[in-house]
Amino acid sequence: MFFRVMDKSRLPDLVAGLQTDFEVIGPVAKGEKFVFATLQDPDELRLDYDTTLLPPKKFFVPPTENLMEFETADNEVVSADVESSPRVLFGLHPCDINALMLMDNVFLGEYEDPYYKARRDSTLLVGVNCEPSPQCFCNSWGTDEVHWGFDIFLSDLGDRYFVSVRSVKGAELLDRFVETRDITDIDTADLQRVTAEFKASFPRHVETSQLPLLLDAKFDDAVWDELGERCLSCGACSMVCPTCYCFDVRDKLSADGKTGERTRVWDSCMFSEFAEVAHGHNFRASSSSRVKYRYYHKQWGYLSKFERVLCVGCGRCERACKADISPRVVIDALQKGATVR
Amino acid sequence: MSTDAYKQLRANPYRPWPARITSITELTETEKLFEFRLIDEEVREAFEFDAGQFVEVSIFGVGEAPISISSAPSKQGFIELCVRRAGDVTSALHNKQCGDIVGLRGPFGRGFPFEEMKGHDVLLVAGGLGIAPLKSLINHIHDERHDFGRVTILLGAKNPSEILFRKQFDMWKHREDFDLIMTVDQPDDSWDGEVGLVTKLFDRLDVDATSTFGAICGPPVMYKYVIDEMRKKHMDADRIYVSFERRMKCGIGKCGHCGVGHQYACIDGPVFNYWEAMNLQEAI
Ligand SMILES: Cc1cc2nc3c(=O)[nH]c(=O)nc-3n(C[C@H](O)[C@H](O)[C@H](O)COP(=O)(O)OP(=O)(O)OC[C@H]3O[C@@H](n4cnc5c(N)ncnc54)[C@H](O)[C@@H]3O)c2cc1C
Ligand code: SF4
Ligand code: SF4
Ligand code: FES
Repeated sequence: MFFRVMDKSRLPDLVAGLQTDFEVIGPVAKGEKFVFATLQDPDELRLDYDTTLLPPKKFFVPPTENLMEFETADNEVVSADVESSPRVLFGLHPCDINALMLMDNVFLGEYEDPYYKARRDSTLLVGVNCEPSPQCFCNSWGTDEVHWGFDIFLSDLGDRYFVSVRSVKGAELLDRFVETRDITDIDTADLQRVTAEFKASFPRHVETSQLPLLLDAKFDDAVWDELGERCLSCGACSMVCPTCYCFDVRDKLSADGKTGERTRVWDSCMFSEFAEVAHGHNFRASSSSRVKYRYYHKQWGYLSKFERVLCVGCGRCERACKADISPRVVIDALQKGATVR
Repeated sequence: MSTDAYKQLRANPYRPWPARITSITELTETEKLFEFRLIDEEVREAFEFDAGQFVEVSIFGVGEAPISISSAPSKQGFIELCVRRAGDVTSALHNKQCGDIVGLRGPFGRGFPFEEMKGHDVLLVAGGLGIAPLKSLINHIHDERHDFGRVTILLGAKNPSEILFRKQFDMWKHREDFDLIMTVDQPDDSWDGEVGLVTKLFDRLDVDATSTFGAICGPPVMYKYVIDEMRKKHMDADRIYVSFERRMKCGIGKCGHCGVGHQYACIDGPVFNYWEAMNLQEAI
């Protein structure tokens, strides 16, 4: 990794430069909220955003995606093209970059997913540091920092950015499009100060020690029934989550039934039919068993394979949930064993 | 299929391999046995699997369903699937004719530890359709019989007409190298065999716990009771193997549908040993 310093006033140069070669996607305002969208104009970019409604996963696993086109007569695949185009995702927070790396474990591990891989390969990531919002608890998982998994990372030092460069491609683009200078001791000292202030500004810390043990030991705890009674099984928590990756596969036929496409669509283990098998047996028929499973998988199942929890503390689920269920609430309830909330 | 197409197939685990149905045998009112041959020669020759593994059967326009391979790994060039008409995909398959083409992806999952079982006694217990994956193991053992000690097979079914592969097993009943016992819950006039649950048969079994591997497959309710019987015979938890059925969409550890406790049935199973399974929540 190497480091540079860039004057804040140069930011539009960098974005405009990138736009000559790439589709540049970044956080833009949508009413009072923010979303990741293709930038028409560098000025639309809002690096002062708190959190976007949907996470960047939608650019790697779209909500609905065509996997292949087929012909029914001979049950034949007509095309299974993997579509991707050069893009830059600009302004990702550390939690969202960490979340992508968790997705990589699933989609780029055993049985590499060619659709995900193509999009990942053709997308550059530019990160930016942030300020915690009331729902954030990335500090509790250690996902408030990120040291790899991006091409360029910008740390705001007030009038300038401390620029960390991870990839050759990132270095080349920085060199081409924007004026930067070498770092000095002052820049490094300022970065440390800014980081310390950031760490101190978190509204809360979630105590996560012994979590897998708690999840196993309290598998039959009444806490789950209380949570289940509240849960609406709406799946909003999974849809907005940057680390939820479950999907359904559906075939769609053309009007004449001769051709069609096989698509995958986002799915959620919070939906009632998610674990149903033949002859109507449902392994998770109750909403309490589904709430439990979601947390069990995120904070124990995934951990047992990849040594990380499948949550980055972005707080999106907490904002989205109408029933006030979130990792913070669930973990708290497990630890205190008391009535939820 | 060209080598190019073969490469594309290899590179995309979601893309089914075209396979031709080469024979269909009606087993019962709801089950048929299908034999498939993968159309591409290169793929057909490269296709190897373990007993207990499954394939995703793909019928475009309808969908996919995971089905255990029931032919033996030692028999190459074709794949046999025993399929119950349960819903969309399985019904569409039941409506196909010999010569039709469907898609197959796989083989996926972890099967039975065949090599580890060698040199030991084996006790297999199947309930209903659970015989499908076990048949692959039984046939594989049959083909390498001299490598195994005593082989005991217990088969349970609701009634005589639901016993799958009845002809083959009726023939086997008299063999000395397999102890095969069939039992039904509801006998009819034609039945002169055992009556009752498969667990009942354990009373008369003489199991050498130091050297026996167990393999169980059947409806979800069966596992607990059969395992209890095996444990009563002092068999170790990690020598008892169970095969689980869960809803599956991808078969390759991505879609999340098949979660059992902290594992995925499609890549960590479907075959688990009981020691693993008893440490999985919601497994048994
Ligand atoms: C590892 C594995 C091995 C299997 N081996 C065999 C076998 O050898 N022979 C056999 O006949 N069946 C087998 N099954 C069961 C078979 O996969 C299901 O019966 C089949 O998926 C139903 O598909 P369908 O499209 O016909 O039904 P659908 O129209 O999809 O649904 C009918 C019913 O089946 C449920 N269902 C959907 N997907 C699954 C699923 N993956 N597993 C179970 N239920 C499901 C639905 O919720 C619904 O209740 C196996 C399942 C697994 C997971
Ligand atoms: S579970 Fe909630 S806090 Fe954790 S990553 Fe998903 S949306 Fe963010
Ligand atoms: S936890 Fe909340 S967001 Fe998730 S399904 Fe239940 S009600 Fe919906
Ligand atoms: S079937 Fe998709 S994860 Fe197991």
